Amino acid sequence: MTTMTMAKALNAGLRRAMERERRVVLFGEDIGRLGGVFRVTDGLQKDFGEHRVIDAPLAESGIVGTSVGMAMRGFRPVVEIQFDGFVYPAFDQIVSQVAKTLRRTDGAVRMPLVIRIPYGGGIGAVEHHSESPEAYFVHTAGLRVLTPSDPQAAYLTIQQAIASDDPVIYLEPKRRYWDKGEVDLDADPFALSPWHARVLRPGDDVTVACYGPMVRTCLEAAEAADCSVEVIDLQSLSPLDIDVVAASVRRTGHLVVVHEASSTAGLGAEVAARVSEECFYSLEAPVLRVTGYDVPYPASRLEEHFLPDLDRVLDGVDRVRAF
Amino acid sequence: MVDGMLGSAVQLLTPEGERVADEDYDISLSNAELKGLYRDMVLVRRLDSEATALQRQGELGLWASSLGQEAAQVGSGRSLLPGDYAFPTYRDHGVTWSRGVPPLEVLAMFRGVSTGGWDPIALRCAIYTIVIGNQALHAVGYGMGAQLDGSSEAVIGYFGDGATDEGDVNEAFVFAADFNAPVVFFCQNNQWAISSPRERKNPAPLYERAAGFGFPGVRVDGNDILAVMAVTRAALERARSGGGPTLVEAYTYRMAAHTTSDDPTRYRHAEELEIWRLRDPIERLKVFLARQGIADRGYFDQIDREAADLAVMIRDGVRSMPEPPAETMFDHVYAEPHEQLERQRRWLVDYESSFTHEVSS
Amino acid sequence: MSEQRSFALPDVGEGLTEAEILRWHVQPGDLVEVNQLIVEIETAKASVELPCPFAGTVGALLVDVGAVVPVGTPIITIEMADAPQQAERQAVLVGYGVKEGTPSGRRRRRVPGTEASEGSPAEDVAVAPSDESSDEPVGPAATRTSGPALAKPPVRRLARELGVDLTLVTPTGQNGDVTRSDVLSASGSDPSIGRPGAARPADVQTRSDERMPVRGVQRAMADAMVQSAFTAPHVTEWVDVDMSRALQVLDRLRALPESADLRVSPMILVAAGLIRAARAHPRINSSWVDGPDGPHVDVHGEVHLGIAADTPRGLLVPCLKGATDLGILELARRVQQLIDTAREGRATPADLTGGTITLTNIGVFGIDGGTPILSPGQTSILAMGRILDRPWVVDGAVVARPVMQLSLSFDHRVIDGALGSRALRSVADFLTDPGLAVLVDGERS
Repeated sequence: MTTMTMAKALNAGLRRAMERERRVVLFGEDIGRLGGVFRVTDGLQKDFGEHRVIDAPLAESGIVGTSVGMAMRGFRPVVEIQFDGFVYPAFDQIVSQVAKTLRRTDGAVRMPLVIRIPYGGGIGAVEHHSESPEAYFVHTAGLRVLTPSDPQAAYLTIQQAIASDDPVIYLEPKRRYWDKGEVDLDADPFALSPWHARVLRPGDDVTVACYGPMVRTCLEAAEAADCSVEVIDLQSLSPLDIDVVAASVRRTGHLVVVHEASSTAGLGAEVAARVSEECFYSLEAPVLRVTGYDVPYPASRLEEHFLPDLDRVLDGVDRVRAF
Repeated sequence: MVDGMLGSAVQLLTPEGERVADEDYDISLSNAELKGLYRDMVLVRRLDSEATALQRQGELGLWASSLGQEAAQVGSGRSLLPGDYAFPTYRDHGVTWSRGVPPLEVLAMFRGVSTGGWDPIALRCAIYTIVIGNQALHAVGYGMGAQLDGSSEAVIGYFGDGATDEGDVNEAFVFAADFNAPVVFFCQNNQWAISSPRERKNPAPLYERAAGFGFPGVRVDGNDILAVMAVTRAALERARSGGGPTLVEAYTYRMAAHTTSDDPTRYRHAEELEIWRLRDPIERLKVFLARQGIADRGYFDQIDREAADLAVMIRDGVRSMPEPPAETMFDHVYAEPHEQLERQRRWLVDYESSFTHEVSS
Repeated sequence: MSEQRSFALPDVGEGLTEAEILRWHVQPGDLVEVNQLIVEIETAKASVELPCPFAGTVGALLVDVGAVVPVGTPIITIEMADAPQQAERQAVLVGYGVKEGTPSGRRRRRVPGTEASEGSPAEDVAVAPSDESSDEPVGPAATRTSGPALAKPPVRRLARELGVDLTLVTPTGQNGDVTRSDVLSASGSDPSIGRPGAARPADVQTRSDERMPVRGVQRAMADAMVQSAFTAPHVTEWVDVDMSRALQVLDRLRALPESADLRVSPMILVAAGLIRAARAHPRINSSWVDGPDGPHVDVHGEVHLGIAADTPRGLLVPCLKGATDLGILELARRVQQLIDTAREGRATPADLTGGTITLTNIGVFGIDGGTPILSPGQTSILAMGRILDRPWVVDGAVVARPVMQLSLSFDHRVIDGALGSRALRSVADFLTDPGLAVLVDGERS
């Protein structure tokens, strides 16, 4: 076990994936000499060369579009989008080409791309640097969506994402990049499937489902709660592992879904709908969502009010129990 | 190589402060105007350094420094007529200064108390665009509108060398050419798109791209405020008179980090910085003013005092900016009433007022 | 009048959480100006020099060179020559990120008596209650003349299981809703039923249940289910059975002194019928095996009966080993032990594996029929539905009979339609007339 930040764990995972498969290439803005604006690719260009860690022009649609071509040619491009708010120029390529090529070629052409996107707020950033775009991608058939919540999960899931023959939108919770955790660098990344939710803390009274940056917040809230809270890290947003959530809700009868993204048509809505389909008769209360409001991400001085925090999670827990 | 590239640029004032002639461009400014340009550049630089310090003291979330680009920004900004319209990037503090945007309104977004900062209609200067290159299309569209209205306004769209990679900027070139839009594309080639060196990656001069799209391009010494003004004024006049778009490549250098979150020592050498320090835009104008007897030490000292006062005003102003109430995040999301959002606003107010005090942990 | 100020380590780069002090440029006693560079720090992104926010005299350096400290830690104190005219605001600075909660407790406390949930979007929008009428003043049920009764889903299910019409129940719940005890009172049942700790309808889970340490097993089975569904070509057949005689037999069985402590449920009879069918048609009690030399089928001599059970940890399939020749009472006893063990979370991986054929009771969910997915490797699974009085034609006349549906899924690679049909028919025949079936055992097919 080694203690390291999530940024370092991702770096180690990328390194392992590149050692394992020579057709893995990293592609993105400022990822080479600078090592990425969050230093996730630090040192990789030096060790693997400029032909495998490629500094791209400043053009997101271009980066993803050319990665589609490279994938057709048998490479496994791992794209870095610098910030969440900058992925939208590439949205057309992702939705129209990355997601649909396998289907349109009747399975002949796979798109083993990974598109890494630092996402979420909480870092005092300026406009367009704190967004949570996951629902757009989850809504798009043909894309898989993963988001790690701690360094060990990051180390393993980035390798699994790269090994997947499907395109993976890999959302990195940027406010957790510098959180440290124990990482077993010898762990076999293929021992467990990444496409599952994880019960991180068992509990009996209320189930709290969350992912990415909110996982730490929810674990802290569970610790502070005056009832027994089960915390589930969804981890795989597409496919969504509803079975683990439903099994928990069958015991607790109460579910709170927590995410930073706005509530309307977000992951919370999907989880609520699926749980009501799966285990309606176990629900002692409606599924509650504790989320960002339906507003553009606010100026950073207000983000504390926008982002669900320990108090808001506990308020949700209180309300779902009082129902 | 840097010197070689600069050789093709229009220059009216050498780095040593010598006034030189160019065969296509010239400019005649009064002494008061020349002194005004010097004052603008010194104050913008002071604004920039104070903002950088405030970020390092935890008072701003981020700052994108304009250090070294004062001539390009002030020179082009001061070339605009009051009725013209500017679309700046997030680094163009000399442009917003020239348009009369109060410095504290510029700093509000970087402190995180605002998502924009000023009234773009009143000041005829759009808010800073953060997503690279988006605003180039807006500038063209604004110009198309002016054209449809039969107005003789000109529009200037700012972007950097990195943005010329983006589809939006190239599409803006296409639209401007197709519609003969009254727009000046003002590209500050500061050599670095964060860590990406412009000319080492693609040595083809940026200004030459314009020809392929069907309009003229010109490179100007971006650290020579006289040349920048001469070239920009000509391009704006061409736009106003129906001549269509022009691409101006202001050849300059980003003296500081990309933003306060960046560490340029990881990707560029200090000696590059030394070369460009000798081409400083403020020093050469100061030498010129002194040598021509247009300004003396008394004037320069007075400007330094003004700069110090500005710094104090900015420091105090930033630190005492009012905290926006939380519920203001619901303001202006929609122009028309939106009941769902109003409910959420009421919920937030109720929820937050249900707490009395912090519990020490 | 002098005043002391301290300077807290800022986040200099968007979300950084800590920094190392590389070197101090000042010492205690030094005079410093505003913006004078006082310290060099190293973050995860860069090394950076910090300018002093105050003018004055350095009081103390609070952090040693080489120390790594979190953002927000005071690193230096400055004695300010002149106190400001007015107390300067000491707000939380911008570059310090969002405050994280502390595991020790809530940061803030709610004002007693104020409820934020009143008119909250959580109720109005995000989690709109299912019933708008909840805003109406709702008195005793007698005053309710229209609209659906208010009740939480588990209460609705309980009502249905007990045959209670919710619209006729007097609600005592906070919001005028029918509670669990209202339903129980209305049904005349022991109010302790449905309470935590007491026996409850089959899959209403009690909160006090012990955790089952079998999550890994459950996970493995979920994966296997998916694999099963997409590798074995499933065929499902249905048949309705008149359970009149079977229920009579059950009543007689329950009356036996030997079954005093036993739950002799319809499921026991169905299990017995399935075991008999497996004895008569051994191929339905088999496994498809993908071996190194290609696939083969293992036809099992012994019936190991898997019984799907809804437990606090989700659906589990504990396995009754060696069920081939069990008598009906022994079968009931063993099934009861098996399911209790699973419900209490004490099932071991061995209890959950090794089945050769599976029975699942979806009737407890109020369901009639379905297309059950084979347990991995097995070739047959039988689902039993609920028993409900339905119109049934007897000698040309429609009469009400307790009817149950059986659904049998089988692996079409191993079992063809004729065999599957015969096996299902044999279970149905047994339940239609258990006595007759035993008498003619083996003589009909």
